[in-house]
Amino acid sequence: MAIFAPLSIGRSALLAHERALATTGQNIANAETPGYRRQTADFAAQGGSQGFGVRVIGVEQSIDRFLEAQLLRQQSFSAGAEMRRDILDRVQELFPVEGPSVGGALDAFWSAAQRLADRPEDLAVRGDLLSRAEGLAARIRQTAGGLARQQREVDARLVGEAEEVNGQLGKIAALNDQIVGAEAGGERANELRDQRAAALLEVAKHLEVRATERGNGSLDVQLESSGVSLVIGGDIQKLVVDAGPTNGLDGNPLSSVGVRLTSGVVIDIPGSPGGAVGSLLTLRDVDLVDRAGELDDFALALRDSVNAVQTDPAATDLDGLVGTELFAATGAGDFAVTLSDPRGIAAASGTNSGDNTNALALLDVRDAPQATLGSATLSDYYSSVQASAGSAARLAFDESTVEAAAQSSLLGRRDAVSAVSLEEEFTDLIRFQRGFQAAAQLISVSDGLLGDLMGLVRG
Amino acid sequence: MIGRVTQSSMARDFLGHVQSLQARSAQAQNHVQTQKRILAPSDDPGGVARATRLRSEDADLRALHETVGFGLSVLGAQDGALGEASSLLTRAREIAAQTANGLTTPAQKQAAAAEVAEIERSLITLGNTTIGGRHVFGGLATGDAPFVSLDDVAFDANNPYGGPTDPFSVRTGQDGATTRLTTPGDEVFGDSILALENLRQTLLAGNAPTAELDALATAADGLSLEHASVGARSRALADRGQEILGSIQTAREEIGEIEDVDLVEAILDLQRLQSALEATLVSGQTLQQSIVDYVRL
Repeated sequence: MAIFAPLSIGRSALLAHERALATTGQNIANAETPGYRRQTADFAAQGGSQGFGVRVIGVEQSIDRFLEAQLLRQQSFSAGAEMRRDILDRVQELFPVEGPSVGGALDAFWSAAQRLADRPEDLAVRGDLLSRAEGLAARIRQTAGGLARQQREVDARLVGEAEEVNGQLGKIAALNDQIVGAEAGGERANELRDQRAAALLEVAKHLEVRATERGNGSLDVQLESSGVSLVIGGDIQKLVVDAGPTNGLDGNPLSSVGVRLTSGVVIDIPGSPGGAVGSLLTLRDVDLVDRAGELDDFALALRDSVNAVQTDPAATDLDGLVGTELFAATGAGDFAVTLSDPRGIAAASGTNSGDNTNALALLDVRDAPQATLGSATLSDYYSSVQASAGSAARLAFDESTVEAAAQSSLLGRRDAVSAVSLEEEFTDLIRFQRGFQAAAQLISVSDGLLGDLMGLVRG
Repeated sequence: MIGRVTQSSMARDFLGHVQSLQARSAQAQNHVQTQKRILAPSDDPGGVARATRLRSEDADLRALHETVGFGLSVLGAQDGALGEASSLLTRAREIAAQTANGLTTPAQKQAAAAEVAEIERSLITLGNTTIGGRHVFGGLATGDAPFVSLDDVAFDANNPYGGPTDPFSVRTGQDGATTRLTTPGDEVFGDSILALENLRQTLLAGNAPTAELDALATAADGLSLEHASVGARSRALADRGQEILGSIQTAREEIGEIEDVDLVEAILDLQRLQSALEATLVSGQTLQQSIVDYVRL
């Protein structure tokens, strides 16, 4: 029960408007703070059978929960798409349009073979064929090496991703504790929630996650695809990157990404974790492996078709001996020329060293459909591998553009709900300033009235 | 639909537009500077695949053209030798005709035999014609001369040729297309050498070579036929060479159509984008307008 109703009402108004001004001030101060969501002081009239004034019953944030959830998912899609675009753009550089390439080296090899068929006994021509073969082998190895290195780089990135995720998870867990503590008194800890939301958004770049809030304000975070928990209240289950069971293109073990449960056991993540981590895993285990496999198929078809001609039992080299293999390889990575003596090229069929029948047979390989390459010629197959790398990069680029646009659109919609508009805040400043001034006037008037009352009593 | 507008949303939109225009402008600049519309496979995967295949074809066509040149030089050498060989045989037939009547003296017959021997030696030398050290009538092999010298103890007119018996062909097109460059020497000169040797022996024996007249005529016809064949193959090869040049031209034009940018179009594009960029940047002034400038609290 107030001493003098108008005075206490005026006091309540002053305090409420002061609080409102503070909130407006907070909005203005944080207009550019990333992740800050605009706050509004909620005024509620107090009263029973008569009015007791006003109270700020809470400071609410302008949040659209559905939008926030959508944005969380979109963040994962965008980050994943950007990662794919980045890496696949680098992969296609291994199959250049101009400049040294496997395709160009193969063409040079066939041109040298054409010259051999014209001049089978010429040592300079034979030497040239061997050197073109070496050039082709080197280019094949280099391309394979590039793919292997790219895969290793992608694998190495997983460690960095896990570190960042774990750091953010730790922040979320710590903020959970702080929020629970701060909100125990009944007031919302808006700024802490903003920080936690920002940390969650960071996590979403790396993994697709969903978050559920508990009654006490704590936020639990799980992986979207498998439900594995990452944050449980104030505890976290970290991402762990360890050497896994499979080897990469370079023969060394690839990492496997798991979650260390609170019990200490490390479990594999079932399904694709989404986000940048999910993209990295797909790039490492599917895209790069596919490209390397195609290159291997090409290399082995080249090895087998050329060696078959070179080692034909009816074919002879410059010294009348049966030819030995020209290429040796288990795949594109170790593709090499095993013949070092130009005299060893088996250009002839029969005992006449000036014969070029086997050299013509070698040239037939150029135009021959290869059964292991889907009946494409070696050159055509290479150009289709190049096109595949280009298409994959193109698709990734287009997808990343689409996702970026979707993200931008969602961010725009979120801003419409949650961001600070200075025009709004300034208008509010004026409102609350006037309100404060009016409340002060009310107190002044009440004070005067009290004085009059005292005067009455004193006589 | 634009709902509530805030400083951050305006800034984001503005930056988004500016960055998009800058990126497109940079791409357009690239096109103008390189005059290529394809710089990476992702720019046009299908186009790149076609261009790579065309480049492959172009390289093959150039190698084929070199082979055509080589083939023409070999056939040219044969053409020259066969022309001379025909003249030699004509002279031998004259000698045979002259000595076939009963009026030639033994001494004249001996002299004629000596001249025929010289003709034989010349013909054998022609049979051993080389180009770049390779025997044009010996399967284009290097090494020992395919025809044994008349003065060699191993000389046998019935079997004067010891070289390769298979013709030499070169690749002149894709899918196994070849052109034959040589005929085995025994098929070209075998009849001629035998006929000449028989003529010589008949004259040395002091007899009239009436039986050898027909053999010499047949041998001469054989040489003519081979000469004509060489001529025909030479013309066909020259035509193929022209065809190849045409194909090279076509391939290069097609590559250009795929990869090259229309410079006028590219420059206009660039100008258009830069104007748009300028306009967008100017519109950035609206970002500065705010109630803060107008309200005095």
